[in-house]
Amino acid sequence: MKIYLSGLYSGTNPQPGVGVARSLRAAFPDAALVGVEYSNRSSGIHWPDLNELWLQRPWEELNLGEYASRIRGLLDAGALWISGVDLEIMWLASVFPEGHPNLLTPPRRAIQKISKPAVEAHEGLPVRVPTFISTEHSDWELHAFCRRHDWKVWLKGPYYEAVRTPTWDSFETVRAVLTRAWSTERLFLQTHVTGYEQSVCFCAYKGELLDAVFMRKRELTEEGKTWAGDVTEVPEDFAAPLRRIVRELNWTGGAELEMVRDADGQLWLLECNPRFPAWIHGSTLAGHNLPARMVEAATGVAARAVPSHGEEFTRVVLEVPVRPQFPLPPLPEPFPGGIGHSLKHPSGTLALAERLHKLNIINDGSFGDGSNGNGNGRGRAPKANGNGRAVKGRAEGNGHAAAAVTGEPSIPASYLADVKAFDFSEMETPAWLFLETTARSIFERAGGLARELTTPAAEVANGYSIKTNPDERLIRLAREHGFLAEAISLLEVQKALRCGFRPDEVILNGPGKWWPEGLLPASRLHAVFSDSLADLRRTVSALESGQLQSEVVGVRLRTPNVSSRFGIPVDTPEALKELVEAVDTLPRQCAFGVHFHMASSNIGVRHWWSLYESMLRWCQSIESLTGRDIELLDVGGGWFPDDWQADSADQFAGAVARARRVLPRVRQVVSEPGKAVAQPSMGLAMRLLEFDDAKEEVKEAVVDGSIAELPMHFFQPHRILHQDSRTGEWRPLRRGKTALLGRLCMEHDIVARNVELPAGARPGDVLVFCDAGGYDRSMSYVFGRG
Amino acid sequence: MMMIETTGTEFANVEAAIERWRCFPASSLSHHGGRCCQIAREWVLAMDRSQLNGAPALTGPRWLRHKYTWGPSRWPNHWCEAVGEKTLDCGALASLAHEVFTARGVRSYPAQFIQQFTAEATCHWREKWGDEQCTVNWIEDELIYHEGCAVVLAGSEVKLWDASAGWWLNPRQVGGYGGLLAARIVTPAADSGEVFEWGRHAFAANQWQRVGQAPAELARAASAEALA
Repeated sequence: MKIYLSGLYSGTNPQPGVGVARSLRAAFPDAALVGVEYSNRSSGIHWPDLNELWLQRPWEELNLGEYASRIRGLLDAGALWISGVDLEIMWLASVFPEGHPNLLTPPRRAIQKISKPAVEAHEGLPVRVPTFISTEHSDWELHAFCRRHDWKVWLKGPYYEAVRTPTWDSFETVRAVLTRAWSTERLFLQTHVTGYEQSVCFCAYKGELLDAVFMRKRELTEEGKTWAGDVTEVPEDFAAPLRRIVRELNWTGGAELEMVRDADGQLWLLECNPRFPAWIHGSTLAGHNLPARMVEAATGVAARAVPSHGEEFTRVVLEVPVRPQFPLPPLPEPFPGGIGHSLKHPSGTLALAERLHKLNIINDGSFGDGSNGNGNGRGRAPKANGNGRAVKGRAEGNGHAAAAVTGEPSIPASYLADVKAFDFSEMETPAWLFLETTARSIFERAGGLARELTTPAAEVANGYSIKTNPDERLIRLAREHGFLAEAISLLEVQKALRCGFRPDEVILNGPGKWWPEGLLPASRLHAVFSDSLADLRRTVSALESGQLQSEVVGVRLRTPNVSSRFGIPVDTPEALKELVEAVDTLPRQCAFGVHFHMASSNIGVRHWWSLYESMLRWCQSIESLTGRDIELLDVGGGWFPDDWQADSADQFAGAVARARRVLPRVRQVVSEPGKAVAQPSMGLAMRLLEFDDAKEEVKEAVVDGSIAELPMHFFQPHRILHQDSRTGEWRPLRRGKTALLGRLCMEHDIVARNVELPAGARPGDVLVFCDAGGYDRSMSYVFGRG
Repeated sequence: MMMIETTGTEFANVEAAIERWRCFPASSLSHHGGRCCQIAREWVLAMDRSQLNGAPALTGPRWLRHKYTWGPSRWPNHWCEAVGEKTLDCGALASLAHEVFTARGVRSYPAQFIQQFTAEATCHWREKWGDEQCTVNWIEDELIYHEGCAVVLAGSEVKLWDASAGWWLNPRQVGGYGGLLAARIVTPAADSGEVFEWGRHAFAANQWQRVGQAPAELARAASAEALA
């Protein structure tokens, strides 16, 4: 019996070849095990259980057609082949679309059904698939996905690699790296599931499930790879549907379903690998020799029974002698100034991905319909390729089907109407555009919602954060629509007063609120919140001396478990005690209030709401410990406009109801929507200065705007409108491969990446960056203007 | 092949240990009845809400173990004293965990464990606790008395939370270094007759139960006998 085994890479993210060899050796002591590798840098080639080594040139050099013929010859001659490399399995499936009796890997149709991230074949298993979105969607939608899932998301490659991207900046960086590495734009973002990693590993031959085991990871490497685990039987409620799926897919080969079990016991399926996992010998040690079981089924040769050594296994690090005929290759020269010698993908996996893409054998995790590299075009066209994956309710955005993904963000009609009202012909750019209709409608909606939620027992009000955009037009709109003014300095207080607010409509907040001296209004403010205990003592002193008058005085709480520099901490029992004692000193003639603020766009929407609930719990404690009723609850903020508008009526109604339930004496709930109202209210017009339109693909275009006008570019994408200079028509820029370079001589002055300039775009055309009315406007600076 | 012998614990030792610790009550923090303990208790419960961060209520409160090192505590121990310590023993940690589970709306009961370690380990603890003038009555040769929580899932199924370690005990793993040999789930009603299932094991409420030896039926029989 001769068995070829590939996937011998044995680094920190190992392939299964060595484990399969060990298991087969235990079951078939006389079998000839031939290791197949594509790099002599893969240390598994030196594993002593391998009788021979069939070392190929790396994938970038291999003649795929000739290699396929040789493998066919080996299989026809009776040798078995067990692959441990996903891409090799995909390629082999294109060479042998219906399989080969001696090829112990799944057929083409079966692999299509398990492609990431939807893993279509999982239907019937007691698992769920974490929500995901294709990166073909517009950046606007991808940013929304990240916020919706609290930035606990993974950016995943089509075959391998997953990287946490907790910020927009990191997402953009990793996307560029993975796109380059895997030669595809079609990556996907998937939500993180917190829990314990578990797997089901199985083997099958011609649609018959031969054996399966359940493995729980008990120790993990820093990369999250198994270092120890325990192996048990697969429960029947999992095994029964698995048996049916294996039959339907006519599966041959090993496989691993990688899952996470959350705290509620729900299993979440991350992926299904069409091969044995690297820990496969752990299963053998537990008495389930899956590779041997598969070989037994394929050959009819009985495997030697392997005793169980218990259900737990662990790894150790072993040194083995190097085979003299395959001495270690020299280390590549480090790049000048570079750090370390990368040993990643020594067998040329990335090159294989690129080649298979070009041959259209794979299409981003699924199969294309091209040839298999033999030049004989034997690959049969599949029913559905990556463009038509069926996904049921787990994909976000426009769904995962590429046909539905335009990569074009949706632009609200009011934006377009406002933009069209400007005459750009004489406009000097870059220029800020006040989108009046848009702004007015947002303030109207916020005011209406507050009125709707107000009851005789408690008023709901909005607070306009002046710092977000101190434009007088916005401050006046806020006042018109019943907002209170939230100021962080006495200068901002004065501005609010100049815009028509009365002092008793002003909330004073923040660590530097008394700056500059001498501008404190003589009459009563609505509320003052202390940002520290020292600030609270100063406030008490000012109240007692009559220097300050305020209807409400209170404290801003620092959010425990979410890093913040603002507010009074409660993160230790001592801190809570100090706060309680300090609140005792507040004058009884003032009502008491609590304020907390955390930017929802930074921590994510669900996180913000759970933070809200936890802050209510702190308020409850403070009330019970101080005996002071909380009469004003002021919450914010930093809402991304879309999040604030989506279902906000229901969410805020629920939030207000909960606040009243927990704090029965609360008389006013102030919501500070922050940039949710300011951001959509302005756009930034700029012009294309120059790009090389002689080239088919424009990679870079220079604009007269810059990060000096769009300082939030690193934190959020902007939807961009382009005006066709001939027709005057406005269209949003869709996803593409062009970077818009700002006018500044600064390396990081890139105001947009991955956009597509429409055909016919030319220098002088106007672009409007929407969503720039928040901190882009208020934090913009003068730079490079002489 | 060379076999490394690990120390085995005879059945009789476990029975003797159960007998020794039969009268041990589950630990509970005392309350001074004043603001000092009110603040401490409110802080723990509010902080737990923050730490939970929207996760399911059955998530183990590992943050407690992150804040407090496991080590000697003096008893009686009050809320205001415990929260100010850097080190808490298993009884104090289990008591805090029980409180937070209960505040989350999870059905939780104090749980008592007998676990096996090695002579080296227990000798080390004996010295450490001795240095702090704390009792070492929880150590018997290689066995220790330990505390945690039993939280009820669906029906009578429980999970056992080791608040000192910050992990759930593995019902498939009994005996061996750190392994569970016996447990008792303490419910308020002494004669509730309730039986809790933990993996393939079953615990009649308020009765010490060896694990690995007693399948569910035996526990139920024992419970019925006790009630009779």
